[in-house]
Amino acid sequence: MGKYIVRRLLQMIPVVILSTFLIYAMVFAMPGDPTAGKCGERPCPAAYIEKFNAKYHLDEPLPVQYGYYAKNVVQGDLGENQYGRPVAEELSERFTVTAKLAVMALIFEGVIGILAGVLAGLRKGGFIDNLVLISTLFVISVPIFVTGFAAQYFLGLKWEIFPALATGKDPSLFSLVLPAMVLGSTSLAYIARLMRSNIAENIKSDYVRTAKAKGLTPRRVVGVHTLRNSLIPVVTFMGYDFGALLGGAIVTEGIFGINGVGGYIFKGIQNRDGIAVVGAVTALVIVYLLMNLLVDLLYGALDPRISND
Amino acid sequence: MSTQTTPATGEQHLLEVEDLHVEFHTSEGVAKAINGVDFSLDEGETLAILGESGSGKSVTAQAIMGILDMPPATIPAGRVLYKGQDLLTMPEEERRLTRGPEISMIFQDALSSLNPVFPVGWQIAEMFRVHRGVNKADAYAQAIKLMERVNIPAAKDRVKAYPHQFSGGMRQRIMIAMAIALDPKVLIADEPTTALDVTVQAQIMALLQELQEEFRMGLILITHDLGVVADVADRIAVMYAGRIVERAEVGDIYARPGHPYTKGLLESIPRLDQKGQKLSAIGGLPPNLTRIPPGCAFHPRCVMAQDICRTERPELLDVGPQRQSACHFSQEVLDA
Ligand SMILES: Nc1ncnc2c1ncn2[C@@H]1O[C@H](COP(=O)(O)OP(=O)(O)O)[C@@H](O)[C@H]1O
Ligand code: SF4
Ligand SMILES: [Mg+2]
Repeated sequence: MGKYIVRRLLQMIPVVILSTFLIYAMVFAMPGDPTAGKCGERPCPAAYIEKFNAKYHLDEPLPVQYGYYAKNVVQGDLGENQYGRPVAEELSERFTVTAKLAVMALIFEGVIGILAGVLAGLRKGGFIDNLVLISTLFVISVPIFVTGFAAQYFLGLKWEIFPALATGKDPSLFSLVLPAMVLGSTSLAYIARLMRSNIAENIKSDYVRTAKAKGLTPRRVVGVHTLRNSLIPVVTFMGYDFGALLGGAIVTEGIFGINGVGGYIFKGIQNRDGIAVVGAVTALVIVYLLMNLLVDLLYGALDPRISND
Repeated sequence: MSTQTTPATGEQHLLEVEDLHVEFHTSEGVAKAINGVDFSLDEGETLAILGESGSGKSVTAQAIMGILDMPPATIPAGRVLYKGQDLLTMPEEERRLTRGPEISMIFQDALSSLNPVFPVGWQIAEMFRVHRGVNKADAYAQAIKLMERVNIPAAKDRVKAYPHQFSGGMRQRIMIAMAIALDPKVLIADEPTTALDVTVQAQIMALLQELQEEFRMGLILITHDLGVVADVADRIAVMYAGRIVERAEVGDIYARPGHPYTKGLLESIPRLDQKGQKLSAIGGLPPNLTRIPPGCAFHPRCVMAQDICRTERPELLDVGPQRQSACHFSQEVLDA
């Protein structure tokens, strides 16, 4: 197990290097002046450009530039953005908000999605099943910005159940509830459907028949013997989804004015702020790879037939 | 009509199935899987239920256990008396408590019948924990004892292993350990050796017989292969299309079958190269249970069929001491 984790972590190194290099190359090899826009409306003074070029070794060949950049990254220095703020610091602020939002979305989609899926799967063709099928189809087919604006308008502005915005560096958890529900809604629908089909299939399995023959309560037959097996694919899905959620959500963040990672990258690309984009994406690549590893470990823990050796 | 051989003293049997009917409501219509099955089982007795695949053996067993999925199944008629009490009319919560301590069951495919995500010891210990409220450590200790009792080597080391880490024979032993955990009075084994190699089959049958004698259980042994049960069973009930067509002591059936279907099963060609399976000598296929032929359900396949067989259903009648057959020409079969 420990060996497996070490091996997986080692495998990540080339992936991280290659992917960040590609991003770096894409951002800095783009035609145009990397200092454009850094000095307001006017072009930057020659002295500034020289300093900038020297700092990021822009006169050197691309791999060498990247080498210098990578050396700083390893030391925790992601550089400075166009406003001169350290990218690492900004990212960590943004990331805190995004992580809170992601965790809340994950809890929302997991709890409600699994519950709805279990109830639907236990009585396939029943009222709850039809309700779940129709409502999840609706959620899946409506674009997220429609769901987002509708939720904001009705739940936030009209009925004032939740705050309609979650702005600032450290928005309250309560203000993140509505965005989290919007953000998790599509995955919730997929989880409900996945859970429903798993439960409906497993409830007919031989080992569930055995559980009944053992004289277990119906609650235990479903809650222990059927649920555990049905959860395996759902937990895997949620793991990958969490990785995606941590990458930020441009649309949801935009609607609710959230200062998250998604908006940061989006703005960075718009402003051609290469250092900010590369730093943020590098962090995301690492987060995503770690999530992948976590999912695989979780999968092995949930399903003893999978061996992580 | 029941031609049940009730002891003259009127004493009650351990288990008595009376006029059991089971139907499945499917999109193709109502499948009449069980159409009036009667039999009894006493303490320490082994009853084999024999029949081709689809004759209703498993459905009968599951109806007795009360683990049929209803729907699609319904039980329009019948009684399942355990120690004189009808399980079919018992409140479900009360009936649930009979599963395990009173009546237990093992299945054909132990790999799919054990939960893949829990250790085998956990699954055995669950019996003690749920039914007896035993704490985890004691329940595990009892599970190890049971695993040793069913001859699983290194039980202590393997108690935390998962089903996929055992061989087919060992898995079936684990199923058996789980089923006998609470000293049931009745054990139903539904084709317990069908999925196993011939040598392992014999070991499992020997184990079942040993345990049955040790615990004085009534054992219902379901099989499609007479050869497997011949040495173990006391009596045999032969099923066809959801009915018992012949019932007799093992020796009698072997010596002289009293029904053309039984005779056909006995004459099946042994195929030693194929895991002890036998090639049926009976032509044709069992009927579609949504359209069971009128008269004797076996008539389309029966070499002895006459006109009467196509219109009149033969009742299960006494044809000798302790034996019944449902055939218009049972005497001719016996005399043949
Ligand atoms: N869940 C079900 N739905 C519909 N029909 C079923 C179901 N289970 C069993 N049956 C019917 O009952 C018949 C008898 O099945 P079974 O008792 O399993 O036969 P076997 O003698 O091979 O154990 C099958 O041929 C099938 O038509
Ligand atoms: S009743 Fe007729 S068809 Fe049925 S088994 Fe006897 S001889 Fe054959
Ligand atoms: Mg069967």
